Amino acid sequence: MPTSTQNFQKTSFISFSRIGVIASHTFTQLVRMKVFYFLIAFVILLWGSKQIIFPNETGGDGSPEQELRLIKSAGFAAMNMFSMLLALSATALLIPKDIEDRTLYTILCKPVPRLDYLLGKLLGVLVLIFVSLIAMDIVLSFFLNQKAASIIAIQTEQLTSRGIPKELINEQLAGLKAHGVTINIHLATFAIFLKAIVIASIALLISTFSSSTLFTLILTLIVIVIGLIQADARDYATTMAEFGQQNQLSNISLAVAVFFPDLQFLSVEDGVIDGRSIPLRIIGQISIIALLYFAIYIILSWFAFRKKEF
Amino acid sequence: MTERSKTPPKPIPQFAVEIRDLVKTYRSSFKRETFRAVDNVSLNIAPGEVYGLIGPNGSGKSTTMKALLGLVAPTSGICKVFGCDSRKVDARSEIGFLPENPYFYKHQTAAETLKFYGKLCGIRGKELKNRVDELLELVSLNHARNRRLGGYSKGMLQRVGLAQALIQNPRLLVLDEPTAGVDPIGSREIRDLIFQLKKEGVTIFLCSHLLEQVQEVCDRVGIIFEGQMVNEGTLEKLTSIENQHELIIENADDGLLESIDELIIQHQTSGAKLISSGTPRSSLEKLFIDTANNRTRTEQK
Repeated sequence: MPTSTQNFQKTSFISFSRIGVIASHTFTQLVRMKVFYFLIAFVILLWGSKQIIFPNETGGDGSPEQELRLIKSAGFAAMNMFSMLLALSATALLIPKDIEDRTLYTILCKPVPRLDYLLGKLLGVLVLIFVSLIAMDIVLSFFLNQKAASIIAIQTEQLTSRGIPKELINEQLAGLKAHGVTINIHLATFAIFLKAIVIASIALLISTFSSSTLFTLILTLIVIVIGLIQADARDYATTMAEFGQQNQLSNISLAVAVFFPDLQFLSVEDGVIDGRSIPLRIIGQISIIALLYFAIYIILSWFAFRKKEF
Repeated sequence: MTERSKTPPKPIPQFAVEIRDLVKTYRSSFKRETFRAVDNVSLNIAPGEVYGLIGPNGSGKSTTMKALLGLVAPTSGICKVFGCDSRKVDARSEIGFLPENPYFYKHQTAAETLKFYGKLCGIRGKELKNRVDELLELVSLNHARNRRLGGYSKGMLQRVGLAQALIQNPRLLVLDEPTAGVDPIGSREIRDLIFQLKKEGVTIFLCSHLLEQVQEVCDRVGIIFEGQMVNEGTLEKLTSIENQHELIIENADDGLLESIDELIIQHQTSGAKLISSGTPRSSLEKLFIDTANNRTRTEQK
């Protein structure tokens, strides 16, 4: 029989084990919603891209590289879209659904600090996105490798038949190999994951004070669009200023930069599609920026959620 | 270290639940009007007591419960659980809560659900496994332990809800309409469980519209109306009619009954009067449960 003493079990401010329990539960919940079916669409998309062959007369010598570019473009575009959709919809849905279904009552009535709940939910979504991106990265690498290998084989055969020396052939093929599977593909995938972290934490922040899922989705989408175009707006304003045309856009774009994340800054895929290498310094910089955004949004989310009444 | 510098032992709290002058006011978003959902409610529940809070819809029962669970912050007043402020997360280690019509994650089975809540309370390994087995047995859901909750009936969900509320062996159980939507047999099982927990010393705070059930299980009752506590006390105090007595006699023949009638007539001068007599009736609920039990026994044979 329980006795009346005041010796309450002390609940720690933050517990990684509790966060882990909620995260693993959220991951399972999303997996059982059959979200991984999108991988089938991803495979079909890349398989289709691999089948496209540019005729020599339109692309000239650049055609084989164009074919590799196409696979990478399609792959990264789909990765961006799927990770963004997952980050947005899964995060925006989870908390309002828990409130609606009253499962939140039973969780918060256990010794679970609200910060643990928020972090657990977000981490669950991020693990799902991470696993999805790894799977997509493997699929992209597989198709890109196949295509690059076949192009290199054809090119080697053509150049050898023309009697070109081996050194020159290797020089020619080096450019092609830069468009194949390199570490840069994985670094670009990692950068997409960083973007998903920022988007998911924005969605989480909005869902802590919004009254409906639809509102959260719309508002998060608006923030994403602003995040994607604000760098262009800033560049335009700077260019105009250089021509001596100061306008309101300059001030607005600077104000926007304070409150909204610059998602373009986190994008490195375009360089990888063009076959350029990404210096690790850049990856380090964008990781710090993304984690900074993440920390700010989490603190704001906790601030909005800690006194929320249900 | 001297005796003087030692921390004095913490006093044992007198009440399992202490609500003092609780006020909860809600403000509308645009009109800036205020609505007082709970108005100066005070109540105390002793450890091991079963307390029922009754009142019509919108009377403030759920808000009082939510304040006790830390789901809403009191506008003013104090809510304590075994002496600990209910707004603190620590207080929740001693509370088990069953919400009205609980919905759990449909993708989980009953065993997974209990494991999830157990882990949230810091229970792990063999201890958790044993506790899950024990609770599934207690709420008679062992046969359906690996079935997803999406396919459970309302009554089964209610029983899972009760099991999750008990997972960390809490000292206080808060039940919001514990038998809502449950058939009479399930309802009886839940009541039996409440009696059993009471015997084990668990304090129970429940809200229900089913007054007959409240009367059956509660030691004390509070009646809340428009946010205010209008009546409170032991069931005996609240429901007994002090100047009337009831006799229930088994196997009484006509002669005995006539003698009793005559005796009452003889005492008419002192104001004694027979108000009613007859054969007591069994309740429809009892009839239903007996019929169902007989039927089950016949099928088992």
